Amino acid sequence: MASADKPINTDVPEKDVFALHFLQSLSNLRRQNTFNSPEKTNDRVKKIKKAAYVSMARAAGGTSRLWSRALLRRAAKETNKVVRFSRRKKRVTWLRRRSNRRDPVEEEEKEAERLRNLVPGGGAMETSKLIEETAYYIKCLSMQVKVMQCLVDGLSPK
Amino acid sequence: MSSRKSSRSRQSGSSRISDDQISDLVTKLQHLIPELRRRRSDKMSASKVLQETCNYIRNLHREVDDLSDRLSGFLASTDDNSAEAAIIRSLLDY
Repeated sequence: MASADKPINTDVPEKDVFALHFLQSLSNLRRQNTFNSPEKTNDRVKKIKKAAYVSMARAAGGTSRLWSRALLRRAAKETNKVVRFSRRKKRVTWLRRRSNRRDPVEEEEKEAERLRNLVPGGGAMETSKLIEETAYYIKCLSMQVKVMQCLVDGLSPK
Repeated sequence: MSSRKSSRSRQSGSSRISDDQISDLVTKLQHLIPELRRRRSDKMSASKVLQETCNYIRNLHREVDDLSDRLSGFLASTDDNSAEAAIIRSLLDY
């Protein structure tokens, strides 16, 4: 159980997994007539953005990652769906590192706090877990951006 | 007990994390951010890496916003005869 040297596994699924999930989300939106109805543009954009994050969370492994779990939970709350996984209400207090309280450590803590606000679910993670989740989150985000970019490029007039 | 500097207990929320582990994680993070990979510096301060990470994530969020915006424009087109509409149909209606 003590695995001090476990390397971070940051293998993300292939790009087509992300693409497939995103297209499925868009297809669902289309079936709900989101694109043809005279909706306000802003609502449409928000729905697409939400579809992007939700499909990214699903592609990345659904509930197996803390950040993806937090994303899905957030999305489900908005639509009042019942999500079937245990809630992690426990907020882990900040662990003091073994080193003395030098300035660099405090700087780091400030930045880590900022990072916590950016990564979904970050508030409940301790520092090392946060860094690990961030690595995975970054990879998935950039993958999602690539997928969306490809889609936009494909649809843009030549 | 083990004389190692750190050990990780998976059960509770309390674990002892060594400085080495954190710095190792930070290095790995550094490799993931394109901005920092280019600089090729061996070791940046952890707070700097975290700062750049925050900026990078914010940029990615902004890109998602922008691309969502553009996609919304494309997908809302009601012109059924355009080439774009055909592409959309073939992609999304299966």
